[in-house]
Amino acid sequence: MLNILVLGLGQCGNRILDSINSEAFGGNGTFAKYYSNQKFPASVKTIAINTAINDLKGLKYTLAKDRFHVPHLHGVGANRTLGKKVFEDNKELIMGEIDKRGSFDLIFIITSTAGGSGSSFAPRLVEELKAAYNAQIICIAVLPFREEGSISLQNTAFCIKELIEEKPNGILLVDNQYLKKYAGDIKSAYDKINATTARRLLFLIEALNSEMLMVTDLGDLKTVMNGGVGIGTMGFYESNNGNTVKATILGSFKPSGLLFPANVYKEGARAMLIIKGDKKYLDLDLINKTIEELSTEVGQVFKGVLVKKGPSKVLSLFTLNSIPELDSLYASAADAIRTEKVKREESKRQLDDAFACIEELEPIY
Amino acid sequence: MAQQIEDKQNHPTARGLKRLAMAAIIVLISPLIMIAAASGDYGEQIFEQNLRVGEGIEIEHSVKIEVVDTSTDIIDSARFRVSSYLVPVRMLTIFQGDMPTEYETYSGARIYLEVVSVYGETALLRVTGPDNWRVTGYYEAEETETGSEPAAEAVTVPELEIKRTLDMTSVEQGQLVLVTFKIKNDGNGTATGIEMDEPLLRGTYQEGCPATLGDIAAGATVRVNYDLKIVDTPSGTYELEPTLLNYKSESGASYSSESSSNTLVVTAKEVLLPELEIKITIESGDDVIICGDRFPATVRIDNTGNATSGRATIKSHLPDDVRVADGDLEPVYESIKPGDYEEYEVMLIAYEPGKHVIKMDVMWADKEASASAEFWAERSSLDKYYPHILAVVPIGLLVVGIIRRHREYSY
Repeated sequence: MLNILVLGLGQCGNRILDSINSEAFGGNGTFAKYYSNQKFPASVKTIAINTAINDLKGLKYTLAKDRFHVPHLHGVGANRTLGKKVFEDNKELIMGEIDKRGSFDLIFIITSTAGGSGSSFAPRLVEELKAAYNAQIICIAVLPFREEGSISLQNTAFCIKELIEEKPNGILLVDNQYLKKYAGDIKSAYDKINATTARRLLFLIEALNSEMLMVTDLGDLKTVMNGGVGIGTMGFYESNNGNTVKATILGSFKPSGLLFPANVYKEGARAMLIIKGDKKYLDLDLINKTIEELSTEVGQVFKGVLVKKGPSKVLSLFTLNSIPELDSLYASAADAIRTEKVKREESKRQLDDAFACIEELEPIY
Repeated sequence: MAQQIEDKQNHPTARGLKRLAMAAIIVLISPLIMIAAASGDYGEQIFEQNLRVGEGIEIEHSVKIEVVDTSTDIIDSARFRVSSYLVPVRMLTIFQGDMPTEYETYSGARIYLEVVSVYGETALLRVTGPDNWRVTGYYEAEETETGSEPAAEAVTVPELEIKRTLDMTSVEQGQLVLVTFKIKNDGNGTATGIEMDEPLLRGTYQEGCPATLGDIAAGATVRVNYDLKIVDTPSGTYELEPTLLNYKSESGASYSSESSSNTLVVTAKEVLLPELEIKITIESGDDVIICGDRFPATVRIDNTGNATSGRATIKSHLPDDVRVADGDLEPVYESIKPGDYEEYEVMLIAYEPGKHVIKMDVMWADKEASASAEFWAERSSLDKYYPHILAVVPIGLLVVGIIRRHREYSY
């Protein structure tokens, strides 16, 4: 059985982690935690880490002992510089808390790239975890709504850059901006994005930990995540109305099923397909044939087939050779930084001009 | 009496004239007297006839009236000895023309004696009383030869003196008193036809008491005794009425003597009997027994009598839902001394709620005594609230579980 650690950093990471814990209860509602136990598909340990204690208090399905408050008042205020300092100051505490959970084969770090604590902690944590554990480390980085502000954009830009520099085994992107179209208000969007991300992650964990008809494993995951720029995303599709398994597989590549906007056929580097469902829906020949077809376009495609009751479902995980959306985001971030810089200089100049009015003057009482 | 006999014998002519005059007067006024008597509330006439001295009548086989003497003085009178069952002999002197003299029998019936006339040794006696009472007997006096010459020989007169003694003057019920009569003839003639009339004390039995005695010669002393058995005479001090002796001289003259009265104190006989009492005490903390709990019951048997009891057997009557948990509820005691007691404790259990009555009997000889005790039994709080507890426990556990879970998930 795989030993998996899921770390939720910052407010966003905490909430997705909470959704994972909620899904582990079977998604049976608010009161499920009072009468049932979490059932993870593997040996999963979770820790929510945050500098903002109120964010930790807001979690519902994460055990108190799995919430770790990094002592720094109430957050770092989206200040990654401060966040990094706080991490350095509390690095031993954080690593000690992780170390209590034992050893791990796979570590997921879930964080928003736009916030303060998560975005600043994640790269540093990758570095520390790589040093401490011989485990694959995959970051699930959540991109912000573009209208959240210039700080969010610049945090995202620097966070992703630093993450890549720390060379985790892979980065899976979740784009709030892209996914919010599937929900009405912001809160519903967040909830839905969190739940969707949680379900896909658990699907992946279940697949990696299960004996499958066609096997894919942690090594395959590592190979996939090493593809392209090391950044990828996840797609999902669930069959209905008797779709063929091919239709289901192809459905998972559709933009509507992706967590980050990408043209898989054009930008995909490597892929892993996990197909789950009743045996009657799982036509292996058709699956092989479909994957062969995909391989010609996407490149190496690993597959795993998991026989479980229910309609066929497909989780697709792939890395990208190019990420146009990320270019756009970085451009926006650069613009935001420049604009911010200009505004700040202008403000400073205005302030200097204002102060100049009273230069060489003394207050008279 | 002796003097009277002497008078009778010494003045026969004068007395005969007197008698004639009195008879004439009586003949004239007797209807008036009769009317007057009849008009009083003295009952129906039972008897009216001349009786001579020594003669008597018996009414209803009980009341005896005998003319003892007559007297012709300014107002003539006659003396009677009246006796009846259980009533001491009374000597009544009734004057002619007086209102009828009342005599009450032992049963409370009353008769009235009235002397209508006296003529010599003859008195015309009228007796009235209860309806239907009749004369049932006569005493016949020997014929005296009125007007005859007195005998030349010396007159012998018996004179009996009777003394009655009791061997004890204070007796208990059930005891015997030896009553002794010492009868001495102080006269100069032999007493014959001696009849002894010993009054009977209520609630006693005279065993061997002679009604008649043999002749007693002059100067002789006779001792007679009998046992007076005190049967059921109530406690108290009693006056034994004098014993009456009626006797005659050899010439046939009647005489009587009586003893002095005696005092007899009767005390109740101390009866030695055991008397057992039984008492049950049920002890509970607050007067309520809890169903299913053992509780002590103390049974005590007291001998309040004045004798040691024989074997005392205890018998219990428990309700169906009360059982003995520990101890012997029906012990047997071979004896219990007077003033002593036996006590034992048993542990009982009541299984059903409600009022329970425990009855216990103690039996000894042919007697028994009972006692009962009652108590209330209630279900224990645990039983009473068992359904609630059954409901509360899982709810509590659920709540605890929820709280515990809540704490686990609270930060």
